[in-house]
Amino acid sequence: MNPLLAKSRPLWIGALALVALPIVLPAIGLTVNIATVVVVLSISALGLNLLVGYTGLTSFGHGAWFGLGAYAAAIAQRSWFPGEMALPLLFSLIFVAAASAVIGALILRRRGVYFALLTLALSALGYTVAFRWTEVTGGEDGLGGLQRGTLGPINFDDPIAFYTLTAVLGLGVLYFMLRVERSPFGHVLTAIRENQLRATFQGYNVDRYKLVAFIISAVVTGFGGALSVFLHYIVTAEAISVPLSGAFLAMVVIGGMHNILGPALGVVFYIIFREFLSIWTANWLLWFGLIFIGFIIFSPEGLVGIWGEIKRRVRPPVQDSAAMSKRKIYEGLPLPEFLRPESRIGTVLEVSHVSKHFGGIRAVNDVSLTVDAGEIHALIGPNGAGKTTTFNLISGMFGPNSGTIRLKGASVAGLPAHRISGRGLARSFQITSLFNGLSIYENLRLSVQATHAGRFNIWRDVDGYAHVHTETAALMKFLGLEGIEEIKAGDLSYGGQRLVDLGIALALKPQVLLLDEPLAGLAAAERERVCRLVRTIAANVPVLMVEHDIDRILAFSSRVTVMNQGEVLMTGVPDAVRKDKRVQEVYTGSGTPAVVGRAAGGAGPRPIVLEVDKVNTFYGKSHILNDVELNVREGEIVALLGRNGAGKSTLLKTLAGLVPARSGSIRFDGRELVGLPAPDIARLGIGYVPQGRGLFAGMSVRENLALGRLARKTDGTTGTVWSEERIFEMFPVLKARLNTPADYMSGGEQQMLAVARALSGNVRLLLLDEPFEGLAPAVIEDLFKVFDQLRRELPILIVEHNLDLVLALADRVFALERGAVFHEGGSEKLFTNLDYRKEILWL
Amino acid sequence: MEFVFLFEQVVNGLVLGGYYLLIALGLSLIFSVGGVVNLAHGAFYALGAYAAVEIRDRLGFGPAVVLSPVAVGLLGIAFERFLLRRFYRADPILSLLVTFGLAMVTEQVIRMVWGAAPIAVTMPPELKGPVMVGDLLFSRYRLLLLAIVALMLACIWVLLNKTSFGSVVRAGVQKPDMVAALGIRLQPYMTSIVVLGVAMAALGGALFAPITTVHPAMGAEIMTVAFVVVVIGGLGSFWGVVAAAMLVGVVRGLTIHFLPAAGEASMYILMFLVLLLRPRGLLGERIEKFE
Repeated sequence: MNPLLAKSRPLWIGALALVALPIVLPAIGLTVNIATVVVVLSISALGLNLLVGYTGLTSFGHGAWFGLGAYAAAIAQRSWFPGEMALPLLFSLIFVAAASAVIGALILRRRGVYFALLTLALSALGYTVAFRWTEVTGGEDGLGGLQRGTLGPINFDDPIAFYTLTAVLGLGVLYFMLRVERSPFGHVLTAIRENQLRATFQGYNVDRYKLVAFIISAVVTGFGGALSVFLHYIVTAEAISVPLSGAFLAMVVIGGMHNILGPALGVVFYIIFREFLSIWTANWLLWFGLIFIGFIIFSPEGLVGIWGEIKRRVRPPVQDSAAMSKRKIYEGLPLPEFLRPESRIGTVLEVSHVSKHFGGIRAVNDVSLTVDAGEIHALIGPNGAGKTTTFNLISGMFGPNSGTIRLKGASVAGLPAHRISGRGLARSFQITSLFNGLSIYENLRLSVQATHAGRFNIWRDVDGYAHVHTETAALMKFLGLEGIEEIKAGDLSYGGQRLVDLGIALALKPQVLLLDEPLAGLAAAERERVCRLVRTIAANVPVLMVEHDIDRILAFSSRVTVMNQGEVLMTGVPDAVRKDKRVQEVYTGSGTPAVVGRAAGGAGPRPIVLEVDKVNTFYGKSHILNDVELNVREGEIVALLGRNGAGKSTLLKTLAGLVPARSGSIRFDGRELVGLPAPDIARLGIGYVPQGRGLFAGMSVRENLALGRLARKTDGTTGTVWSEERIFEMFPVLKARLNTPADYMSGGEQQMLAVARALSGNVRLLLLDEPFEGLAPAVIEDLFKVFDQLRRELPILIVEHNLDLVLALADRVFALERGAVFHEGGSEKLFTNLDYRKEILWL
Repeated sequence: MEFVFLFEQVVNGLVLGGYYLLIALGLSLIFSVGGVVNLAHGAFYALGAYAAVEIRDRLGFGPAVVLSPVAVGLLGIAFERFLLRRFYRADPILSLLVTFGLAMVTEQVIRMVWGAAPIAVTMPPELKGPVMVGDLLFSRYRLLLLAIVALMLACIWVLLNKTSFGSVVRAGVQKPDMVAALGIRLQPYMTSIVVLGVAMAALGGALFAPITTVHPAMGAEIMTVAFVVVVIGGLGSFWGVVAAAMLVGVVRGLTIHFLPAAGEASMYILMFLVLLLRPRGLLGERIEKFE
């Protein structure tokens, strides 16, 4: 189809429908006035949909704007412009705009459910005011005696004449909405709907966009209300009621909220339904309600969506794996000209003495680092080192408590994220953050648009910005995404999504680029390619990146900053970092543990308790565990080693049934666990202590323990008895603290409680995730002895990043890398021979 | 005299607050456990009132107040099983829309079965009349209501804080995964909370039928009030909801007395004021899913 025709297609369809309405409706026994009602309500529904369908803000209270517009027009005609129609309409528009600006600024402070409830309350408030404030609104009787007036020889009391007038105005509104939705402004609204956080980090001031959308939506809805006043010659409080607000929402949902004409279709459906069903039954709303529920459950895209669903059935869309293969990859492309900053010398980003604490926890303490032009600066460190928090501080997710951050010499510390982004700092996200419902091209185009002067324009078509399009296309080509522009970001494979995430940040033409684990979850070949891309980028735009693939990052970064426990350990060139003893200690331990205590080597292999065979686990599209094989035998402690993000915690969660395995087998005591829900697995005798202990705050030791025993048996039918007495024997400290709330105890006591709770119930295998985290050495020693004793009772599978400790404790180890086991064996040699340990576990 | 009069109005406001509390507390409970905002909650309240009317005609007022919540509670099981359960992990807006639709449908069912006209419910004669407490004059029935609501509140508090049922529920609100990892299936608890919530709403409908009137739109009317209460108190906060219900009751009671026309508007204005000062309500906490 001719693109111009395609673009204005909704307008043509709308115009045809408007011509057809007064012919078709009388033909099926309805009046022209009903056709006018359809047009008036359609205008309002169109207005509501700008908020619901396009911006993703569900308003349960648009009846308030419909009613306010209606009353404003009625009062204006009665008090100031008798017999006139145009001036009251104009007054109503201005009045609603002013009112919605004030109220919008207030209730847009909240999102989601709160926003919905506030709009509901707004409508209810409007109704009671209209109903009670008799002097102004006429109260129960409303305001009647309104006039439609004339225009030259045309008398609008004639139904056809009035229909024509509303039809023309309605078409005008449709044209206006079409322009808005196709404008840069309208596209930002969709971005806010899809992912408000990312839109903020693209530099869009989302609050301002939402307020403007709110005002436009209210004014258009109110315009429908104002017209309805002249249609009915009267306005009553019904025009502002909650049921009407609900009906508008129902029309939008039933018609289809992600289509510009959907709401109008919903109105036609509503009116025809009402007119015909109300002949047969007074309770047509019952059936309408049921249909409404049906649409929400079965076709959230409404009537329009049904059509799309049929189309999908007839011609299924391309699968994502096939989709990725369609792209054209050009190797060795230079960074597109428009992405190169003007000056490429000196220090670009300067972070000095930045600290941030949450409650009592110091997440980041006195961190300083600089990023110079032309460099790749890596930020590494173990879990909880504060890397991502540092990123969040720099990019404005939240402000630092102290310290300064300078971008090209200007202070940006504490600025809101969109302003920092506007100054030329772009970031990617550890967990990909895209506009999933939008095409890849649109994802990137939104970023390019964010740096363009026309980003606030609400009238010009986005296709009119040739510059934005050539830049987007060049970027798609550079990233190797050419050829798959129209595929939705959410349909891409994980690797593809990572690339788009990178692209969204890069398209902002940054002075400095912050990448949070850009290589995580990528296949080997793709890793190579993304590494090369990052190198090319960094030659022009300096890059600060967090990455857990340490081998790779040391190989290709210019400088490395190592963080540990919220502080900077050192900054230096990769070689210096590789050789630094302190860094090695952070990752592999010093070889001088505080405590030692291992069970004597067993005589011959003991029976296997847990056998994991080729288990695969996914989070969404991200492949976390890859054919994991592992076993645990009676009477031993098995340690799971591996860097951050290797999949250790996920493995424990998979065993506990909290994350479902997609394939493979887990056999425990002769039973298959894959497919069982978590409570059933727990009842079979697997005790799980999560990272962070998972205690219930505000509940006492007694209550926490009682919950452990509530659903699980403690009679020892599985061979081990964990009665209350035995638990207290093992953990005497708990007995003294029975009535203390769990969150008031010390870290060590909390960990004891978590273990005791996990054991309370015929437990035959204990899973421990980072049990020593955040504990003082003396406490660690106590806990260590407890685990050492427990070994005689039941096997333990433990994840722990402190290698000295865990190797002293464990009998055997399995080491994971990118979700697969790459080393298994006894712990003895790893424990005593530091060189061997480094060979296996460090680089 | 002035003080005595004011005091009476405050007590009347508290009764009104207790009435709101029965509805709002259940709403808040279902919300904190299941993460769904049940816009159909008012419909269960209305059903409770109509069920009470039916039972009263056959068995008398006392049994009506007891049996009506039981009947509606049973309905709640079906509601949870077939509708609400689908939405625990979904976008909360979807559950808002679906329960909104359900409220609409229920109101129509009521119109079909019982007609559109309001039904007056007379209270048993022995509960009628005023009672003097010192110099103060109160309606006997209203004092009784206040006592029942206080008793209910105490029961719910004990249930939530002193029983193992309560500890599972509270633990489930905090860390559902951890509860599952201790071998506890949360689903029956979810059902129980929904049943408890709607039964409380039904009790409200039955108890207050004599001093309000029973009509099809009563559910929709109480719903907006209940939401105002929950929003003021803070979604999911027990004491927040209690405090907010009493506050709204007293403010509304006093306004109705001094400026009748602004009676309803007063609570909305109160709500907007509270939200300006405390965006998450009096005692509300930040819950990411609902932001």
